[in-house]
Amino acid sequence: MIPDLSVGIGKIKFSNPVLVASGTFGYGEEYGSIIDLNKLGGIITKSITFNPREGHPPPRTCETPSGMLNAIGLTNVGVKRFIKEKLPFLRRLRTRIIVNVAGSTVEEYVEVVRKLEGKKGIDLLEINISCPNVKEGGIAFGSKPESAYKCIKAVKENTSFPVIAKLSPNVSDIAEIALVVEEAGADAVSLINTLVGMAIDFENKKPRLSNVTGGLSGPAVKPVALAMVWKTAQKVKIPIIGLGGIMNTQDALEFLLAGASMIQIGTGNFVDPECSVKIVEGLKKYCEEKRIKRIGNLVGKLKTK
Amino acid sequence: MRTKKIMIHKDEGLILSVESLNEKLFKLKIYSPVFSLMAMPGNFCHLKVNEESFPLLRRAFSFHRVEKDKGTFELLFKVVGLGTELLSRKNPGEKIDLLAPLGNFFSFPRKDEKIVLSAGGMGIAPLLFFLNYLLEKKFNPERITLFFGVKKEKELILLDELSAMRIKIHLATEDGTIGFKGRITELFYQELKERRVKLKNTMFYACGPTPMLKKISDISKKHNLYCQISLENHMPCGIGACFGCVVKTINGYKRVCKDGPVFDAREVILD
Repeated sequence: MIPDLSVGIGKIKFSNPVLVASGTFGYGEEYGSIIDLNKLGGIITKSITFNPREGHPPPRTCETPSGMLNAIGLTNVGVKRFIKEKLPFLRRLRTRIIVNVAGSTVEEYVEVVRKLEGKKGIDLLEINISCPNVKEGGIAFGSKPESAYKCIKAVKENTSFPVIAKLSPNVSDIAEIALVVEEAGADAVSLINTLVGMAIDFENKKPRLSNVTGGLSGPAVKPVALAMVWKTAQKVKIPIIGLGGIMNTQDALEFLLAGASMIQIGTGNFVDPECSVKIVEGLKKYCEEKRIKRIGNLVGKLKTK
Repeated sequence: MRTKKIMIHKDEGLILSVESLNEKLFKLKIYSPVFSLMAMPGNFCHLKVNEESFPLLRRAFSFHRVEKDKGTFELLFKVVGLGTELLSRKNPGEKIDLLAPLGNFFSFPRKDEKIVLSAGGMGIAPLLFFLNYLLEKKFNPERITLFFGVKKEKELILLDELSAMRIKIHLATEDGTIGFKGRITELFYQELKERRVKLKNTMFYACGPTPMLKKISDISKKHNLYCQISLENHMPCGIGACFGCVVKTINGYKRVCKDGPVFDAREVILD
């Protein structure tokens, strides 16, 4: 028996539920000589803004126990150069391409989305309303239900691509945000973006990041991510894409059980560039061994009583 | 600095030896025919020191010595934290997860040029590979000058090997036990100002701690030296995907792992 790993968001079919997370996979080409990109369920690009962004001054990253902090500052080439220089490579792949979009204002999100509209090679958009490192944008939209609703609603009205809303864990109730973006028309939610964190070089009395605070990722955040996915799965009907510290097949399975129908690999790509494709293989093997016909049959099957 | 379309690979290397040079300095010898063939002077490899999630990220080390015929390469490292501590305790026969060859590499001088290299402490690591590479390619050792500076005498490693190369060597120790008393950049600048180091027809190279490279960068800007410096930084991905290891340059932020690690010293802005 060959298990069916395929999953879907709206009308879009994915060959398997494994995606690579925005910001950890560049524009795809960087990993092209190391792994077979076509084996992935999909690739999510770095956040794209309307104008190019230089990003924050160094130091931008710092390792912490079983995790890392980053404050890159949404470095990217801007939407025009993305379409011209980066999309042609992605277009040639047989995997799904998800463009992550960020902005400082609702208008900027809309402008980026309009530029991307109808471009060949793009399958979905992921809307970053949760970047913890950029004051004016990102998280400003994701931390309040009203602004999250407004942003996703505006994006939906200006695109024909299915829309994933990427949510922040730095809120009092992530499930509430998930509910309002579902109401605004989001086709899926992805969670969690990084948790706000900080590291200090006590000898020099200095923060380790130039931005002082950054986003925490890696195995250290996995329990938080699992709890938030599980909580959100109790509330929304749209598919949930789980991420946060997934390093291997077992981690991926835990997210599926908690209620995610797809997963993303982020920091895991840095630790082992083959992590994502190994998980695709691992999920297949697991389903074969356990005689699970469809990977979807595992989603939300956590036994809580 | 040069780049060529290189295919980055993952390989499992076999540790042949871990040699302690002094209490903090170690030399790791790895069997990996593919990387011993591909590595160029200035390239680095990104390795995972253990299979655990702590320490989590890979560590970057420049190639220090490469023996293509034996399929081996060596890395030189100083124990500065948990990652390098664990690496120093590796045993022969253990496997190690490698990602290489990464980054660009030094560009080579013409046969009629002179070269001047400055190494500060561990900065000797990639420069030794470069020296051996040039000598193998029959570059005249009389055209090579090496400035090598360390804090204390016991950090002056590889002296026998360097002496056997019959290149011109200037040594500096900060405590003055051997050679010039002071920093290598002071000695370098003194020789430059007194015109014992000629600018004409000369290529400059440097590797060492950031304060040293900042001095070299300042000197290069002031005297318009074409000096290639090899930088280091924490690199989460090592392949240009995360933009976490950038350095400020006159042309904006550049990724040390992908646009470097070798940069024109006049281009970078170090603090």
